[in-house]
Amino acid sequence: MALTLYRWLLRLYPESYCEEFGEEMTSVFREARNEIPPALIAKINFYQREFCGLLSGSLFAHLHRLFGPAIPFPRFYMQRQFRFPRFTVLLMLVIFAAVILTIAKAMSVSVAYGATPGTVWPSLISVFGVMVVGMSTAAVVIWGILHSLRRSGIHRLENVQSRIDSVKSNGI
Amino acid sequence: METFPLTEPVFLVLLSLAEQPRHGYSILKDVESMSRGRVLLSTGTLYGALQRLLAEGWIERIQEDDAPRDRRTYRLTPRGRRNLQIEIDRMRHLTKVAALRVAGKEA
Repeated sequence: MALTLYRWLLRLYPESYCEEFGEEMTSVFREARNEIPPALIAKINFYQREFCGLLSGSLFAHLHRLFGPAIPFPRFYMQRQFRFPRFTVLLMLVIFAAVILTIAKAMSVSVAYGATPGTVWPSLISVFGVMVVGMSTAAVVIWGILHSLRRSGIHRLENVQSRIDSVKSNGI
Repeated sequence: METFPLTEPVFLVLLSLAEQPRHGYSILKDVESMSRGRVLLSTGTLYGALQRLLAEGWIERIQEDDAPRDRRTYRLTPRGRRNLQIEIDRMRHLTKVAALRVAGKEA
């Protein structure tokens, strides 16, 4: 049954990929399955690893087929280029300020057309609350993506080493 | 494709092929053995990496007339071996720096 499910999941890959690697992958899966230790937890870990690997592998195979090398294979390089750019924070602040200014402008127009200011402030506070929650959620999602991309932090170690080298070369 | 560092699974796949040509299951077991059971590759991950390494010319398939289609053998190309050596040098440098810094801290 597991083999049937495995073959079925292989169909999620692009056709050319299946033709090239399908039989080989099935064969390796069969051999690996024959060597799973009898413990239940080992079996669960094995099937979870295999089926999750197939799902993510098929997704990236499709993305790679569509977009080429622009899509990095998830387990090829440590993704040190995926750093959260400081410029993004600045951009988010600018967008946030623009939204606040727009709301303030809308408030003044609303007051000019006869709405009472007391009814406008609660809605402004609720909009602000929704924005804070939205931005926090976005920050958590972005952190999750960066974490799953295995941001290594190695670039920092290299930066430290280049500083050490420059200090040494200056003879300090 | 000439940027580094490589992830550990890909590095271990290349190391496995550096010793001798291997087929898929043999790579899987060798990676597990080299990492002392810490890195367990799924077939999806392994063949994703092999496909990419083939496409970039780091590894190649050995043409064996009598080999069944579901058991093909891979080996490192000179380009793959050169890039693996660069990665090993990078790691050697890092471990040297780490050792010096840790020793400096302890002294």
